[in-house]
Amino acid sequence: MKISPAAYRTGAATLLMMATCTGQMLSGTASAGASSSTYLVGVSEPMTGAEAQAGTEIWDGEVLAANAINAAGGVLGHKIVLKEEDDACDPQTSENAANKLVSLGVQAMVGGYCSSAAQPAEPIYARAGIPNIQVAANSSTLTEAGYHDVFLIDPGGGLQAEEAAGFFTKVLKVKSLLIADDQSTYAVNVAQLTQKDLAGSSVKVFAIEAVPDTDQDFSALINTIRADKAGAVYWTGYFAQAAEFVRQLRTDGLEMPFVTADGSVDPTFVKDAGADSNGTYATIAVLTGFLTGTQANAFDKSYKAQFHSQPGPYSAYGYDGMYALADAAKAAGSLSPGKVIAALHKLKFHGLTGEVSFAPDGSRLGAHFVVLEVKNGQYELAPVQPPA
Amino acid sequence: MAWGVVIPDVVAGLFLGAFFALVAVGYSMVYGILRLINFAHGDFYMVAAFVSYSLLAMVTVGTHLNWGNVIWVGLVTMVAAGALAVCVERLVYRPMRRAAVLSLMIAALGVSQVLENGVLNTPGWGSNYLAYPVTPPSNGFNVASVHYTWTQLAIVIAAAVLIFAVYWIVNHTMLGTAMRAVAQDRVAATLMGIKTDRVISLVFFIGGALAGAAAVMASLYYGQINYLMGFSIGLQAFTAAVLGGIGNVAGAALGGLLLGVLESVGTGLFGSQWALLFAFGALVLTLWLRPTGLLGERVGNRV
Repeated sequence: MKISPAAYRTGAATLLMMATCTGQMLSGTASAGASSSTYLVGVSEPMTGAEAQAGTEIWDGEVLAANAINAAGGVLGHKIVLKEEDDACDPQTSENAANKLVSLGVQAMVGGYCSSAAQPAEPIYARAGIPNIQVAANSSTLTEAGYHDVFLIDPGGGLQAEEAAGFFTKVLKVKSLLIADDQSTYAVNVAQLTQKDLAGSSVKVFAIEAVPDTDQDFSALINTIRADKAGAVYWTGYFAQAAEFVRQLRTDGLEMPFVTADGSVDPTFVKDAGADSNGTYATIAVLTGFLTGTQANAFDKSYKAQFHSQPGPYSAYGYDGMYALADAAKAAGSLSPGKVIAALHKLKFHGLTGEVSFAPDGSRLGAHFVVLEVKNGQYELAPVQPPA
Repeated sequence: MAWGVVIPDVVAGLFLGAFFALVAVGYSMVYGILRLINFAHGDFYMVAAFVSYSLLAMVTVGTHLNWGNVIWVGLVTMVAAGALAVCVERLVYRPMRRAAVLSLMIAALGVSQVLENGVLNTPGWGSNYLAYPVTPPSNGFNVASVHYTWTQLAIVIAAAVLIFAVYWIVNHTMLGTAMRAVAQDRVAATLMGIKTDRVISLVFFIGGALAGAAAVMASLYYGQINYLMGFSIGLQAFTAAVLGGIGNVAGAALGGLLLGVLESVGTGLFGSQWALLFAFGALVLTLWLRPTGLLGERVGNRV
């Protein structure tokens, strides 16, 4: 069939028009979706894997905050719409989630639990120019990379290491310590910083043991602990392995103090470890359950009413992260990501987790760490806290 | 390096190796009879753990451990896991008998994904680490200041009994002879009057049942189950089967125990981060010196 030149021209023109229209429609939809009446915010958190429970708690905290903000009129008249993506606490999955969120046209990302997942996603959000508010990930490597759009709601590894070092030297007063991590970014960060803080102190620190995060059997490590006669154990990994570790430690008859970092603080740890969780300690920035005051009580009540469960350790961080974004956008008077980032750097408000403001590198100011103890299956403030 | 921990680590490794051995025997037998590396085998283990979790949760009051319950739940789980294995064989592998080996492996990977995501999406199971309903008591005995529980001893004995039973079936019964015949030459076996389909199904059943037993014992001891737990054990059991000589029961059992010991001793001597390197390094060395594994048959050239 011969096609005449005229037909070619008409055909080409039609195709070009269709492409332009579709292109306009698509980009129009993306920006319309974000700027017409909704504020699209991405939430990248672990929905599957060992840390899924923490992800749910963060998501619920953010949903609560978003609903409250929307009920009060939204952000500059725009309703917040949250889009959840699974990062599975895994670098590769997190990158995929970040790319997906950016391609959907989110105007900010508020979420994140694992630093190992947050790290490779940082450049993706930075390239898109959107605020990257990490609500729970707190490895100091996240702020050292130099991205201008990263903000950590959870105080960083350096402060946690100081708290832990103070606890081991001034409160527990042990002679030797074994530190174990699970080779993930945040765990290695806390472990190394704690080891550095304890160098030259009265506590002798053995080499840091790196346990693969799929390991369920700790018997060889426990044999090492027994042979070394370690005075205490500091586990900086996550809660599923923490429960296994303490169970096997106690079954083998070792009763030395077992301290975890904040990644192991979760009701799952208490449930899985059962009676062996009693008497364990944990370092964490102020915990949701201990917040007092009208704001905290209101949060507690509405959380329970909507989700029929206790807020998790990081629900308040999700809540504050959402409010940080909303308040910054209101202060900037615009939803444009660049302006919101600038406003976040100048932000200061009173959130559930304390005074929320950020250092120039994005790390959290105004919050501090405490030591918890598990008593009768509940997290409580340890009776003796390390000196400030 | 802490040499003082070597002996306790060897014992710990033998205990860990008991689980590897149970799963490795199933892997090995399936490979022996079909030349198929069933990557879904670890997931039979995982599904069995969840099934036993639900059964025990139904009959357990509080956290009180009733050994009678544990035993009958264990037996039911073994049968269920065996049945699952047979189903998978009938539905997925049997129609593909004449397919290329690579296609079979990919089908096995597919089955693995189906099982994992099936458990992930089942209400009541899901993505969280679930705490096993019962915790075994920790009373036991001390040997050289290391505490061992009666439960650990019971688990090792149970595993040994099961593996020995399978070894006896394969090497000293007519059924076992049929299995070995099918493994050697399927067509000739059919010509000899052996119902090869039934024999293959039975091998899958035994493999699945062993994985089910391992699942109940490991869940009881470690107290935690998760929908991805099959991956780690599957990989290590496969390695153990290869180390010991894939295709025979004794080899798989030996490989499992050896791998457990290598990992534990590696952790004790070099630190946890070097344990897997040590274990797999030993695997590579073994295969370099004995390509068919420690107890593997010398594969001659057929003229």
